[in-house]
Amino acid sequence: MIDSYRYVDFATRQIMKAWAARQEPGEIPFTPLRKPLRECTVALLSTAGIARNDDRPFDQEGERRDPWWGDPTFRRIPLGTTEKDIRVYHLHIDPRFGEEDLDVLLPMRRLSELASEGAVGRTAPTHYSIMGYILETTELERKTAPAIAAAMHEEHVDAVVLVPV
Amino acid sequence: MPDLTRRVGVPRLAGISYPLSRPLGRPHDADGQRAVLRATLALLESATTSDHYVELPFEWPETVAQARNASKDVPPSPIAALLLKQPWLIPNLYLGRIPA
Repeated sequence: MIDSYRYVDFATRQIMKAWAARQEPGEIPFTPLRKPLRECTVALLSTAGIARNDDRPFDQEGERRDPWWGDPTFRRIPLGTTEKDIRVYHLHIDPRFGEEDLDVLLPMRRLSELASEGAVGRTAPTHYSIMGYILETTELERKTAPAIAAAMHEEHVDAVVLVPV
Repeated sequence: MPDLTRRVGVPRLAGISYPLSRPLGRPHDADGQRAVLRATLALLESATTSDHYVELPFEWPETVAQARNASKDVPPSPIAALLLKQPWLIPNLYLGRIPA
C-alpha cells in the first residue's frame, strides 16, 4: 500500500487526510480508449505551477497576501519547451528539481521518446500546467478545466496524463 | 497521495511512492522517468471501468529522511506560516472552511 504521507510533516498529513475523508466520491466518468495507444495523441498536465518565461507567472503575490487563495488559472507549455524556458511557481513544493529537469514534472521529452518508438501515436503540440494549491475550486472547475479541455479538443488529443506533484 | 486523488475521483490512477516535487523521478534519470510514464500510460489500455487503481512498483532510491532532507531549506508555504502565527485558524483549514 502506497503511503506518500510519509514524505510530508505531521500537520500537513492530518489536514490532507481530513480533506480526503470529507470528499464525497461521486460518479466518475469513464471514457474507454477508442483506439490503441499507439495511435493516440497524448497530452500532459502538471499541477506544479509551470509557466514559460515569456508568459505570465502564476500569482504568488496574491497567495502571499491571502494564504487561503491560490491562482486557479492555467498556462500553455508548447512541446519543445525545456527547463531553460520556464519557472516553477508553486509555494508548496520544492521547485528546484523541475527547474533542473522539466521532465521530472512534465515529461514531454519522455513522451516524445515513447512516440518515436511507436508505443504512443503522437505527442500533442501543447501541454498544460495549473498550480495545484487551490482550496476553493469553483473557478478551476467552471472556467480553467473546461478551457483546457477545449484547447486539447482543438488539437485532437485522445488521452491526457495528469501529473500531480 | 493516491487516496486523496481517488476520493476526488479520476477514471484511472497510478500510485507511486515517490516524494513530492519529483513525480516522475530524479532529475536527469531519463530511463527511470520513461519507465514511470510507460507504466502510467499502460493504464489507458488496461482499465475497463472507472476508479481503476494500480500501484506502480517503483521504489525511491533514498530513505524517506533523505528525500525530505533534500527540501528542508524550502520556506514554509504562506498558509503554513500563517497557521504557525495564528494556530487558532488551524481548525478552519482542517474542516475546509475557506474564508471568502
